[in-house]
Amino acid sequence: MALLSITDVTVRFGGLVANNAITLAVPEGSLFAVIGPNGAGKTTLFNVVSGAFPPTEGKISFAGDDITGKPQAAIAARGLIRTYQLVQLFKDLSVSENVQVGAHRVTRGGVFAALLRPGWARTQETAVRDEAERLLDFVGLGGRGDLQADQLPYGQQRLLEVARAMAAKPRIILLDEPAAGLNTQETQALADVIRRIHATGVTVLLIEHDMSLVMQVAQRIAVLDFGRKIAEGTPDEVRKHPAVLEAYLGGTEHSLV
Amino acid sequence: MFDFTQLTQSLVTGIGVGLIYGLVGIGYCVIYNASGIVNFAQGVFVMLGGMFCHTAMTQLGVPLILAAIIAVPLVAIVGIVIDYLVVRPMWNRNATLFAIILATLAAQIMIERITILTLGDQPRTIPDFTAGGPLKIGGIAIGYQLFWILGCGAVMVAALWLFFARTTTGQALRACAQNREAAALLGIPVRRMLMISFALSAALGAVAGILVTPTQYTAFNVGTPFGVNGFIAAIIGGFGHAGGALAGGLLLGIAQAVAIVVFGAGFKNVVALSLLLLVLLVFPSGLFGSTDPDKGA
Amino acid sequence: MTSPDTTSTKAARTLPAVLRGMTLETALPALAAALLLIYALLSSGYLVTVLGFAMIYAVFCLGLNFFMGYTGQASFGQNAFAALGGYGTAILTADYGWEPLVALPVTMAFSGLVAAIVGYPTLRLRGHTLAMATFALGLITYELSIELTGLTQGYMGFSGIPPLGIGHFKLATEKQQLIALVAIVLLGAWISARLRQSRFGRALRAIAGSEKAASALSVDVARYKLAAFVVAALYASAAGSLFAHFVGFISPEVFGASMVVLPFTMLYLGGIGTTWGPVIGAIIVSLLPEALRSLGLKEMQDIVYSFLLIAMLIYAPRGLAILPGLLRRSAAPEKKAD
Repeated sequence: MALLSITDVTVRFGGLVANNAITLAVPEGSLFAVIGPNGAGKTTLFNVVSGAFPPTEGKISFAGDDITGKPQAAIAARGLIRTYQLVQLFKDLSVSENVQVGAHRVTRGGVFAALLRPGWARTQETAVRDEAERLLDFVGLGGRGDLQADQLPYGQQRLLEVARAMAAKPRIILLDEPAAGLNTQETQALADVIRRIHATGVTVLLIEHDMSLVMQVAQRIAVLDFGRKIAEGTPDEVRKHPAVLEAYLGGTEHSLV
Repeated sequence: MFDFTQLTQSLVTGIGVGLIYGLVGIGYCVIYNASGIVNFAQGVFVMLGGMFCHTAMTQLGVPLILAAIIAVPLVAIVGIVIDYLVVRPMWNRNATLFAIILATLAAQIMIERITILTLGDQPRTIPDFTAGGPLKIGGIAIGYQLFWILGCGAVMVAALWLFFARTTTGQALRACAQNREAAALLGIPVRRMLMISFALSAALGAVAGILVTPTQYTAFNVGTPFGVNGFIAAIIGGFGHAGGALAGGLLLGIAQAVAIVVFGAGFKNVVALSLLLLVLLVFPSGLFGSTDPDKGA
Repeated sequence: MTSPDTTSTKAARTLPAVLRGMTLETALPALAAALLLIYALLSSGYLVTVLGFAMIYAVFCLGLNFFMGYTGQASFGQNAFAALGGYGTAILTADYGWEPLVALPVTMAFSGLVAAIVGYPTLRLRGHTLAMATFALGLITYELSIELTGLTQGYMGFSGIPPLGIGHFKLATEKQQLIALVAIVLLGAWISARLRQSRFGRALRAIAGSEKAASALSVDVARYKLAAFVVAALYASAAGSLFAHFVGFISPEVFGASMVVLPFTMLYLGGIGTTWGPVIGAIIVSLLPEALRSLGLKEMQDIVYSFLLIAMLIYAPRGLAILPGLLRRSAAPEKKAD
């Protein structure tokens, strides 16, 4: 059963067709990657799936429900959590507090709970704090919870964003070019974290440019080019696919690992 | 029951005032186009135009035309000073839009207070450009000043149009409006363009102030209503669109004129502000504009 | 602005939220303020009046800080809600003989309702359009308070407003009123700190950091912004009502344009986004006229305020209170791209 079904999604910006009749099914519990040259429409696809804006045509369904065109916060509330290509940290919060915000989805309580602090709210707060520490350890940022978020070096900010997304206990996590701007070491650490996330049962959908990362972790890969899906399959199948070779080797500097 | 004569009389005044609002609105657009900044001190240029003109006439004893010629560049200098001392340092430090807006608002208050201290808080006025009674057409009195407003206003708009279309500086300013980074890369001195836009905007406000003072009065606090109404004109016109600002100003002047007759003079500002809120909420890009006024949030 | 979560020891966690919000930088001025208060209560009359106004503005600023500091949004129109609060209490207590302590929450509720209705469409705006729309709110209430003379007594102002009190026990002297005001400010600060240190407060501060990311974590950004706006309006309304009771007289000018710039000056001076910043800023800025008067510069008040605000906006855009924090944190370069 596909957890996330993208059916015939087309996105047009005026005359530009960013996504052209894309159909994808992400099975539950898989580690799925979407790759493609720059401008292939990968981030646009993430944007319509996560609800930043609606697709011009097509349908997106998540866990059996139609989420096409629904607002972003509502989609996130169902357990579809995404990260951004340019790290969007909450700069004025500490590292731990950043992760605690992630828990918003799985906690409750508004103004009255904040003011009156009933027992369940206090228990919840402690649980949120403890879970944040656990997640920071999980991604390798243990002990750095009290730092200001923008004091972290870039590679660790990335990991923080992942920890924050995990705090929402997602069913599927969408990672938008998580390796962007990371060096080889940091990319390895990230690959390790992604594998561990996947091992906990969370479905992972990943956009990536960095072929080494994708080939290491992905179970299934879809390839986009000029807004269209040109191939889909296991890493081995994709590596040998003629259309993919054409797209990548015919004009870009990437070579397939 | 409406008094048709009263309504028409009010409309006549409203068109004159509306044109002034339009001129102020164009001033907002000029700075906004060059930099994305909204200069909340715009109204103060209107006030200073009238004040400097009056002061030149009384202190230096020069005739109106000479006083105007002295006043406008002086106000332009005030505009440059605001750019240099307030806006530029914040611009260089990548301040948020909100901080810059707040700073221009504070600058407006500061200039108003300095004006009280130096020139006193008494309202004053300058004489009509041409003496003589109002023109009477069928029970409606049209002051000569209105023709001056219309005439000078038209000349200013035409001159501005020529400036932006034909001169190198004008075209450079338009380039900045389209794409600041590209303009900078082409060697256009963006900071200097900012300064020029402030000077131009201040001059526009000053001329508007000199034109409108004979029909009412000038005092340290007349700037704010003109600033607000000018802003409303610019918003209606789709912030950034000079022609739209002019049309917006006229629309606003007419709306106010009608409101005065229907609701009474006291509610004209409420109507103007309600119109502003209505436009902001329903047509955020203005009635004429296609540009997104929310850039640079 | 330091996070209250800086120590994770159990002892620190058991401290009340308000004290945890304090660091050395804020404790020192707070202590100074407390000493000043004691001095005022023991001595001359005029300082009491000044501190009374400071407390009223502190309440206003606490609300403004809540909206601006925690969500990163601008509102140039909080004075509109102060006007609603001030005139609301004036009408209810002076014209209809209501108890001040009943009129206060009732007008607050009314202001909150207006804020919710007005805020819903307005908060969709961004940047200068939001600034102007909120500025227009204050201008509208100003005009209405002048025009609706039957209700507000118009330009001449509304006098005869009774002081705060319960039943027959009215706070007759200014010193008594000052104590009540200080208690209210402490309550307001406590509420603000409590809200900050919670799931609700974290969501707001996340919105200030990145609306996109907050929304991607299921935070309903529009609803939270509106909630913060309403909270700010409640504080502003309370401040307006307190002003009415403290002075006994209000006029449209009171809630006019100076109530736009002055609170921002206080907020920037004290530190935006902190718990005690608004209070400290309010006290310092309220004491300024005294300092100016002794220098013979009383008329220059507004000029000095404006100048101060501009200088702070240019050189310390997050407010002066963070400067000590900046000096301490020399380890990582502070890239404060605001």
